[in-house]
Amino acid sequence: MSDAGPLLKAEGLTRIYPDGAVRALRGVSLAVAAGESVAVTGPSGCGKSTLLHLLGGLDRPTSGEVYFEGVPLGALDLDAFRARRIGFVFQSFHLLPTLSALENVQVPMFEGPWPRGERVARAVRLLDEVALAHRRDHIPSRLSVGERQRVAIARALANEPALLLADEPTGNLDSVAQAEVLELLGRLRRERSLTLVLVTHSPEVAAAADRVIKIRDGRIVDG
Amino acid sequence: MRFTTLIARNLLRRGVRTALTVVGLAIGIAAVVALLGIAWGFERSFLAINEAKGIDLIVVRAGVSDKLTSNLDEALGDRLRQVKGVRNLAGSLMDVVSFEEANLVSVLINGWEPGSLLFRGIKVLEGRTLAEGDGRSALLGRVLALNLRKKVGDSIDVAGERFRVVGIFESASLFENGGLIVPLKELQRMMGREGDLTGFAIVAEARDHASVEALGRRIEAEIPGVAAVPARDYVERDIRIRLAKSMAWATSLVALVVGAVGVLNTMMMSVFERTGEIGVLRALGWRRRRVLALILGEALALGGAGAVLGSALGFAGVRMLARSPTASGFVAGKIPPAALGVGLVMAVVLSLLGGLYPALRGATLAPTEALRHE
Repeated sequence: MSDAGPLLKAEGLTRIYPDGAVRALRGVSLAVAAGESVAVTGPSGCGKSTLLHLLGGLDRPTSGEVYFEGVPLGALDLDAFRARRIGFVFQSFHLLPTLSALENVQVPMFEGPWPRGERVARAVRLLDEVALAHRRDHIPSRLSVGERQRVAIARALANEPALLLADEPTGNLDSVAQAEVLELLGRLRRERSLTLVLVTHSPEVAAAADRVIKIRDGRIVDG
Repeated sequence: MRFTTLIARNLLRRGVRTALTVVGLAIGIAAVVALLGIAWGFERSFLAINEAKGIDLIVVRAGVSDKLTSNLDEALGDRLRQVKGVRNLAGSLMDVVSFEEANLVSVLINGWEPGSLLFRGIKVLEGRTLAEGDGRSALLGRVLALNLRKKVGDSIDVAGERFRVVGIFESASLFENGGLIVPLKELQRMMGREGDLTGFAIVAEARDHASVEALGRRIEAEIPGVAAVPARDYVERDIRIRLAKSMAWATSLVALVVGAVGVLNTMMMSVFERTGEIGVLRALGWRRRRVLALILGEALALGGAGAVLGSALGFAGVRMLARSPTASGFVAGKIPPAALGVGLVMAVVLSLLGGLYPALRGATLAPTEALRHE
């Protein structure tokens, strides 16, 4: 890969679901530079989440290709790619309900290079980074929604990813928790030189990004 | 966090369902362990009779499926003694009687000649053994004496005739311990079978298996109408042993199917409920084989718990059975390690069988499809 090239590039992405009735994306192309933060906005059902899933190797496009560091995702081991290079943050947090905050952060590390003893130490450090070290032994139901999302962000960083993909990360949060999570994402991005692509409905969240891409009916209409 | 912690947490999440599945599995395993234990104990006990007495060959009437229905002329003994390779022999008459007042049916009664080689391996605990000139005298096995509450000097009613207890013995075989020995002539008279025997026990000159088999063939060639079978083969071919083993295996098969369906049902529900979670794990980079290992690990843990509980239940069941008067003569209060081994292997196999389909289903879910279930 050339140093000047984008970290992430999508070319002519289309995604038609197998029944043929839903064309979620219709030829989307974009490029995201390393360290950049990009907000993807648009009305419900416009294809934002589908785009995020294709960028993160969770799904494969019907046509077109996604390139990460210049390498097409089709040529990669997608499990390893997701485990080691990508961190996912979801709107509903998706923490495992029976595991403590500390244990939830360790879940992706099973696919990382860390021995067990190091996994615990890493999870403690990550929870400390999101200011939740004191809540490490609490299960998700004992945490506030803002705290849950911070645990989910710590989990997304478990294997030192280069790219963070967040699907409506503040969608289930009140305004105080939203501000906290936004501040946290901004700080982590700066400190860790992370690249961030987030899908959002919120103008405040979009405004915090370096660049905004608007999607409508599966096409980029702005950005 | 260990991988096994995740397995344990997932199982404990639905504690009642997990417990019920384990209990269902355990009942199946208990049946397998207990029935196989009893059947194998049965066989071992039969083998112990011949081993303790050093018997190499059993001679009965050819073509009989049950030793009890065999009858041979007592005079054949002299002809058998002439066969080259026969070192020693003893004839016996065997029958069954019941002691209804003690609720005992099918008690083994042996008619032996005093001083016969068949008394080898018989240890007299009280009183004396049978002697020449004894009439209606009986030697009771330890378990039978206990069940009938009889001691030396008491009299007992055997098939309508009064016998005197002259001794109480212990044998390596449960069958003998649960039965009684009377003089051969008395049993022949009582049963109206004067001059008849059930069969002969033979000690060979050369005792290796090939020589014993060769002796058996020689006897069968020289004396038409008899079957001379090596003692071990004879026990393995015994209709009661075969029946007991077949029943045990048939029940085990049913337990296998029921147990596997139970695990399958639990794991299917578990995977269905956690579809979204599996999607998250896949999104976080978990490989299919790790998801597979998680679900199979949960199924295996169910199997392991079922095996432990089932073995304990089976063991307790056999102990209880061994204490009941009617069964104590036939059922040893212990289970051979091999039966516990079969129970464990069966639990592992059926939990894997029950867990395999749900695990494959979970592992092959498309991450985006699974995430939509949340």
